[in-house]
Amino acid sequence: MTTAPTSAPVCGSQHCITCGDDGDPMTVLRVDDQRGLALCGAEDGERVTVEIALVAPVAPGDRLLVHAGTAIARLEPEPA
Amino acid sequence: MKFVDEFRDAELGRALAGEILSLVESGRHYKFMEVCGGHTHSIYKYGVDDLLPANVELVHGPGCPVCVIPMGRVDDGIALAHEPGVVFTCFGDMMRVPGSNGSLLDAKAAGADVRMVYSPLDALRIARQNPDREVVFFAIGFETTAPSTALTLKRARAEGVTNFSCMCSHVTIVPPLRALLESPDLRLDGFIGPGHVSTVVGARPFEFIPADYGKPVVIAGFEPLDILQAITMILRQLGDGQCEVENQYKRVVPYEGNLRALEVMAEVFELRPHFEWRGLGFISHSGLKLSEAYAELDAEQRFSVPGVRVADPKACQCGEVLKGVIKPWECKVFGTACTPERPIGTCMVSSEGACAAYYNFGRFAREREVV
Repeated sequence: MTTAPTSAPVCGSQHCITCGDDGDPMTVLRVDDQRGLALCGAEDGERVTVEIALVAPVAPGDRLLVHAGTAIARLEPEPA
Repeated sequence: MKFVDEFRDAELGRALAGEILSLVESGRHYKFMEVCGGHTHSIYKYGVDDLLPANVELVHGPGCPVCVIPMGRVDDGIALAHEPGVVFTCFGDMMRVPGSNGSLLDAKAAGADVRMVYSPLDALRIARQNPDREVVFFAIGFETTAPSTALTLKRARAEGVTNFSCMCSHVTIVPPLRALLESPDLRLDGFIGPGHVSTVVGARPFEFIPADYGKPVVIAGFEPLDILQAITMILRQLGDGQCEVENQYKRVVPYEGNLRALEVMAEVFELRPHFEWRGLGFISHSGLKLSEAYAELDAEQRFSVPGVRVADPKACQCGEVLKGVIKPWECKVFGTACTPERPIGTCMVSSEGACAAYYNFGRFAREREVV
């Protein structure tokens, strides 16, 4: 059997995004209502385009739980 | 960080460990299954296992979608990736899963255009950017991931992207749990329910476990204190003679789930009569395929897919690990012939796989010390 090289890409150092139960808390930065997408910021500063159909309407500052590019739930706001 | 820091507090962890110790009956052995690979990962990353009394055993369930994909399905993906003009897209860990003659990563090395994506939306973007190519997305995952694929397919249709299709290998969580509960190999006392799958499906689909099989279920979050608290909740139910579905992860999981997600899944997918699970065999109504309404986006209809069934390597005991019958280190090839760098079995590929979690966090101890 052929095997994979050691430098194989993985989804992330801690979690595999393919796992059915991985979710990243993100904050909405900008909303494109027309396309049903939002630009969201992850905890590590990464910016990601997120599908918001399952939690819309959203506004900048809202906190979402994102899995595989789709917001699957709303989170409570971060305390000031 | 909210939702994280307060659930990793060491002092609270010790208090919960003490509570667990006070709840267990001496002389009784407790076997709880954490259904989700994310829980398995957290348990070994944070050493939750080491805080438990010796008579509380955690059994790792089939909740890692990479781990349950059979070899034949990987071979089908590789065959599709070698089709002329095809760009084959999949999540990262799926690229490393061995088929009968190498992985998707090997196919890429051999010249196939295989690309890793972080979401189905990325795959759709590749299709938009390459109108002269056929872009196939290899969709895997439980109900947490399936809505994302469904929404992307709806988007592809709405935008008129015709060079995009999906090889759907999504699975559902309840049928394998029922199969495990029917298995004579395994005696369980309760379940730590999957957190984010429940965000989509809610808690109701798990009610059959206490109703039909008399086992408590506690849906739990993924931080160490979530898991410890879920174990105390299961133990309390057992101690009080109760048996129900409880939701420890209320800060994210509504009891009824995400109705919009369920609607979009019902529109885009339908249940396959049977789907093969690695180690568990064929389970009825456990896999999803594209519905008739979305048939034109189904890669299995657009291309010729071999659909062969391939037996797992003889040395690999992933099936027994996935059923919780053996611990990863009890497999004959664990840590020797099978490692995360050179996996033989799928449980060693994904970081959520039980074998990889044991291997990566150094959990080789054959017997735990009593706390």
